[in-house]
Amino acid sequence: MVAQALHKTAVVIPALNESAVIAGVIKRISKLGVGEIILVDDASTDTTCLIAEAEGATVIKLFEPLGAWGATQTGLRYAVRKGFRFVVTLDADGQHNPDDIPRLLDPVATGCANVVIGSCTERGSRMRKVAWRWIKNASGVRLEDITSGFRVYDRLALRRVASWKATLLDYQDIGVILLLQRTGMVIQDVGVTMTERVNGKSRIFHNWGIVTYYMAHTLLLGFCKRIEIRRNPSPVVISRVKP
Amino acid sequence: MIGIVSGVLGLIAAVTITVLIRRDKLHIAHGLGWLITALMLTFLGFAPSIFDAVALKLGIAYPPSLAFALGLLLLVIKQLSNDIQHSKLRVRQQRIIQRLSILETEMRRKKKAQEERAD
Repeated sequence: MVAQALHKTAVVIPALNESAVIAGVIKRISKLGVGEIILVDDASTDTTCLIAEAEGATVIKLFEPLGAWGATQTGLRYAVRKGFRFVVTLDADGQHNPDDIPRLLDPVATGCANVVIGSCTERGSRMRKVAWRWIKNASGVRLEDITSGFRVYDRLALRRVASWKATLLDYQDIGVILLLQRTGMVIQDVGVTMTERVNGKSRIFHNWGIVTYYMAHTLLLGFCKRIEIRRNPSPVVISRVKP
Repeated sequence: MIGIVSGVLGLIAAVTITVLIRRDKLHIAHGLGWLITALMLTFLGFAPSIFDAVALKLGIAYPPSLAFALGLLLLVIKQLSNDIQHSKLRVRQQRIIQRLSILETEMRRKKKAQEERAD
């Protein structure tokens, strides 16, 4: 089942200056035999595009930086245009293990879930963990790892995350999860192991100013949308599968 | 005296807005709102007794404070509608950037396939 599903799957990788690690990431994904590897370049200034193209990935070059979520959504929209049934999103920095893709794809391919989130709550600094707890309390989301970019979407969920409403979001974490919840998507948490990033640093959790803005932004969004979800409850199923 | 000054200021604002529309610097949809505001300012400037009467009915002891409060309220509404419009434009701009980048990729791929076939 999963082997068949892999052919109908596109892997979307948003990337910004990841020339040091991108070749290895694409090579490992290629071995799985997925339908297409789509690298969305968020206006990199290094050779990320050239390397990805040489490794056989389809490269979408953004002429203006749109941020990680904007870049991811571009790849999702491209995958929708190409008619893929499933889409995997993963980070370009080598944190996510491509070998976990079949395991994440399984619940979606068998129709048990519309969205699977590869979660690893063990990673991250103390500051990140405090931030997660606050965001979860404000939004009411009970998922384990709300910031993980390692996700699988089926066609129904894809339509939602490729929509105009999702474009209004700045980050792929709580806003996207709440949008999916609101529209009745079944989300499953699947535990994965993640490695420390090989190159560069987190776009958010490295600067107090950005963290403050991110927290204010996310807490407000979570709080506002929580009220909306309470008024229109949807049949959400959230389960957890251990790594 | 203050009434005359506000009336004249309103008139200047109305003329400025008309000129901006004529020179294609301001969209007619925005210009219309500003023009109405300027004309109201002119009217109320030349007839301040209206404010005095309304303030009296509302039990406001100092009528100019009603004018300030209404003015502030209008500014807040205008700023909020600006931000709503800005949000819409931002989404539209982002969708266009995404669409254009996708189309460029598709074009590049087609061109490459054609070149490979030609070889």
